[in-house]
Amino acid sequence: MTFPATRRLADALVIALIAGWTLWYLADTVSASSRVTNLIFILPVAVLLLGLCGFEALRLLRAPAAPAPAPAAEDDPEDLAGTLKVMALFAAYVLSAERIGFDLATCLFVGLYLLLKGERRPLIVLGYAALFGNLVTLFFARMLPYPMPMAWL
Amino acid sequence: MIDFNALLSAFSILGSDAAPWLVVLPGLLIGLVFGAVPGLQISMAMAIFLPMTLYMDFLTAILFLTAIFTGGGFGGGIPAILMNIPGTSSAISTAFDGYPMARRGEHNEALGLSLGASAVSVVIGYILLLVLIQPISAAVLKLGPTEMLVVILWGLTMIASLSEGAMSKGLIAGGLGLLLGTVGFSDAGVLRGTMGVTYLMDGIPVVPAMMGMFAASELLRLQNARYLVADDAARRVSPRRIFAGMAQTFRHPGVILRGSMIGIVIGAIPGVGSSVSNLLSYIETKRRDADPESFGKGNPKGVVASESANSSSEAGSLVTLLALGIPGGGATAVMLAAFAMHNVTGGPQFIRDQADIVYAIILANLGQALLLVILGSLMLPLLASLVKVPMNFLIPAVLSLSVFGAYGLTGSIAGPVTLLAFAVIGWLLRRQGYPVSAAVIGLILGSLGETAALHSYQISGGDPAYLLQRPITLGLALLVIAALAAKPLLARRRLRRQAAARAS
Repeated sequence: MTFPATRRLADALVIALIAGWTLWYLADTVSASSRVTNLIFILPVAVLLLGLCGFEALRLLRAPAAPAPAPAAEDDPEDLAGTLKVMALFAAYVLSAERIGFDLATCLFVGLYLLLKGERRPLIVLGYAALFGNLVTLFFARMLPYPMPMAWL
Repeated sequence: MIDFNALLSAFSILGSDAAPWLVVLPGLLIGLVFGAVPGLQISMAMAIFLPMTLYMDFLTAILFLTAIFTGGGFGGGIPAILMNIPGTSSAISTAFDGYPMARRGEHNEALGLSLGASAVSVVIGYILLLVLIQPISAAVLKLGPTEMLVVILWGLTMIASLSEGAMSKGLIAGGLGLLLGTVGFSDAGVLRGTMGVTYLMDGIPVVPAMMGMFAASELLRLQNARYLVADDAARRVSPRRIFAGMAQTFRHPGVILRGSMIGIVIGAIPGVGSSVSNLLSYIETKRRDADPESFGKGNPKGVVASESANSSSEAGSLVTLLALGIPGGGATAVMLAAFAMHNVTGGPQFIRDQADIVYAIILANLGQALLLVILGSLMLPLLASLVKVPMNFLIPAVLSLSVFGAYGLTGSIAGPVTLLAFAVIGWLLRRQGYPVSAAVIGLILGSLGETAALHSYQISGGDPAYLLQRPITLGLALLVIAALAAKPLLARRRLRRQAAARAS
């Protein structure tokens, strides 16, 4: 599949996701209450948004897919695999923090991120992960008025 | 308009006792730290340190809290410039031009501009407050939901102006944000769009969502960059360039004045405040500029417009607190608690009977602006050094800070999960060319807009003729329409001038 075709597919997917969610939200809002006081803002915005999604879908069908904007060399936003790996690591961090403790989760996240990005010096990986993870957790645990689940702090 | 006897008495109160001044510097420092750390809120800092004010007299307590407010207002712009994370919703438009400036190696200048604009507009805001506290408080009482609706619609026009490529994509992102902003219980007591998730009953937590869309999605994009500033030479931290940035603020007096005026007026409207004022100031500055296309790409005027409005909003929010006894937002609600702890009730009687204390608060805040410049000048070189940290170390650190901040904002894992979900949404939108800033503005204005529309409908009984009885609404609406209509006319005139210049 060529790049413009992938891009066009991704564009179509995003439009479909937005339009789909908007339709579901509108239906949910109407089913909750169809009184003017409930629809006064949501109905016109949703109708406008659906119209715009339709317009954008038509534009996508008619025009050839626009080439991607030239990225800055080192930003490389098209490194999809790398971005998805970081995203997965971040998701694992967020979803595990409450279960395994914020201190352990933060140390693991920082250390694994460094390893993922190619850092191989054990002292740097372990030192930075342990120092940053513990310091930041301690700071927030003292400052925030809520209890935070911890593994050792 | 000024009671000169009370003013003299205020000078004597502030000059005869050092105690009120001793708390200002620690207050500014606390505010700066809480504003600069993503996720920590100014209102949170004020709430944490509120019990300390029990041991202070009323004036000292209020000065301590306003110092936190002032420091935090400026602090929120620092991560917006350096990391594209607006520390608070009042620094959103600071990120629009501050972050592109930082990425081009102009982080010193951007931070200097932010400090200069903040300090100058705090002074302008409090001078206006000194002169106009009584008329402004009277005017605020006349503002109703229809006026608020027009102000919010004015903010929504920003969505269209943020669309760089296809305007339809900007409007789609803005519309999506508006709808997301209405999820949860409405003011009419109806629950929508929560999918049974109890955490969403109060709506989507806006600040974690904003942090996810702006910062986390940007960091995901930058995960292969070596440094925030690509050019090695441009990463230098230079106090001289920070001061040059501060001096540059004075090249845009019109932008500062307009931002300060918008800040104080919008800041005085309860529930709207600095989150909207910085956007309005940015829109107006961009709309009136000879080169509106340069905004969003690192135009210093964008930083000045945003910072001048959010800093003077502080003075605006004090109008409603002092003159009406109504808190306009989280920070002034904590101040109201301090009022109660000292058995003081804000309102017209307070202004009349304790005018010397009111003037002393205002004058001391003018002094705070000077102290902010000194403290900011000392701290900024240290904070600007962030651009020297390799991205491999910076990205996990900032993402972790955002997670802790999001947890602190909601008191549950709902905050970090919101951050994660909106990081993915923001990344996806950004990747497909949708302006995430439009979605964030929609998210902020969504619930405000729905509430104002609902109250307008309830108060008017659905009769459009009601608007004829609201001259301020009509006046504001005409101003917004005129501003929108003027935009294409001005653009056409500018093109004609450019063509004429090329021909000659």
